[in-house]
Amino acid sequence: MARSIWNGTITLGLIAVPIKVHSATDSHTVHFHQVHAEDGARIKQKRICSKEGKEVPYKEVSMGYELRGGEYVLLEKEEIDAAAGDRSHTIELEQFVDPAEVDPVFYDKTYYLGAGEDGEDAYRLLLDALGRAKRSGIGRWVFHNREYLVSVRAGDDVLVLHTMRFADQLVRVEKLDIAQPSRKPAKRELDMAEKLVESLGKRFRPGSFKDTYRDRVAELIKRKAEGEEIELPEPEEVEATDDLSAALEASLGDGRRKARR
Amino acid sequence: MPRSLWSGSLSFGLVNVPVVMVTAVRDLDLHFRQLHEKDGAPIEVQRWCSKEDVEVPYEEITHAFEFDDGSQVIITDEELQSIEPRRTRTIEIEQFVEMDEVDAIYFDHPYYLLPAGSDDGSARAYRLLVDVMARTERAALGRFVMRAKEYLAIVRTHDGALMLSTMLFADEVRDSGDVENAAQKSHKPSAKELRAAVAVIEELSGTWDPGEWKDRYRRRLQDVVSRKRKGKTIKAPEPRDTASEEGPDLMAALEQTLAEMRG
Repeated sequence: MARSIWNGTITLGLIAVPIKVHSATDSHTVHFHQVHAEDGARIKQKRICSKEGKEVPYKEVSMGYELRGGEYVLLEKEEIDAAAGDRSHTIELEQFVDPAEVDPVFYDKTYYLGAGEDGEDAYRLLLDALGRAKRSGIGRWVFHNREYLVSVRAGDDVLVLHTMRFADQLVRVEKLDIAQPSRKPAKRELDMAEKLVESLGKRFRPGSFKDTYRDRVAELIKRKAEGEEIELPEPEEVEATDDLSAALEASLGDGRRKARR
Repeated sequence: MPRSLWSGSLSFGLVNVPVVMVTAVRDLDLHFRQLHEKDGAPIEVQRWCSKEDVEVPYEEITHAFEFDDGSQVIITDEELQSIEPRRTRTIEIEQFVEMDEVDAIYFDHPYYLLPAGSDDGSARAYRLLVDVMARTERAALGRFVMRAKEYLAIVRTHDGALMLSTMLFADEVRDSGDVENAAQKSHKPSAKELRAAVAVIEELSGTWDPGEWKDRYRRRLQDVVSRKRKGKTIKAPEPRDTASEEGPDLMAALEQTLAEMRG
């Protein structure tokens, strides 16, 4: 496991649990550089003062909050950092909730926690108690000059921390303009749809989904490096369903045939 | 109403539901513009060629993949499009799963899917999917392509609408077994300690009410801006003392915590 990205303490009442935070995820997206098409040279970004037309070194950069009409409140980078909040390296678990009540839409990034120095007993106690109580703890975490809402729960022999979204960040369904049909789906249609859902029901096995796109990007890079010309295909159009019942019936028929084979 | 980020169709067996995708998360962050400290003029970020030392217009920029030995191969946007799956505007439902089988760690960014167009057929097909997923308490898994990348997605109902979350692939989730100093057998708590810790958790338990938790960082940043606007300077607060001086006696800390809570 890569080294920790933050060290601190989780508190549960007066119990202090020293912890180390590790990232739980690792993006495997293939990354490209921007280059100048004509000579293949790397593109670099330059900060140019819009008044003088000259390059500005980073230490001469301030931050501006735009009021209106190009008027700015000028802030030093340190002044923005000051809003981060409590830098005591403590995450106080303020409330405990049933994780089943928390919609996954609230979870943002995930981290794994390890025990900090001499914290193995307290760590194991918190892990076991969260598992026994079937609760997750909610608290605040100051990381990289920003305060996050976090949830700490018992995973598989490990404490798992999620940063969380705030309620006001989520778009409410009432704000969306969802077209309602003139008549609701018929019971027969719903029953057929339910059968279709059941015929496609399977256990979730994360490993069964491979990122085949990533493989195709790697393959493309290889072909291009070998000097191959790449052909560009036409996209296919998909038609909307006119007859819902007929499409459901045909889908079920299809599914049964597959199942018999 | 947020703008549409993707449009296409959600296919369920032979049923195609035309949909548009909008984000489910609003950006409420305060955004700052880089200014030149000396004259307060906004800073423009320009793209320059590192070889010729000239500014490069956007049309002349392409992408390159760099190999470990430093050599590179140029890949154009068109070439990237060539490897998109043929049914590129479709989210094909491959299977249905129980929501609680999918660990929260796999969820990435949330979006809403909305019925596209104004025809009644699309609205009914959309409603059928919402109703059947609500009835069966299942979520759908499928893949789709957006901005030249293929995503695994989970589609479920959320307040009467379809919500799609992009997902991480299994190999993007690290093995928690590699975490150093996680649960260790030799550090198992005693039954008494565990009971007391569970009691503390229960004392502090409540109903999850997301609206109760405000983004204090955003509010403080707004304060910093408005104080600065009035000409006051801002100083970073001093760190508070950490609570880690309590010593290793867990049972004593648990008992004291419970005593204080129960007053």
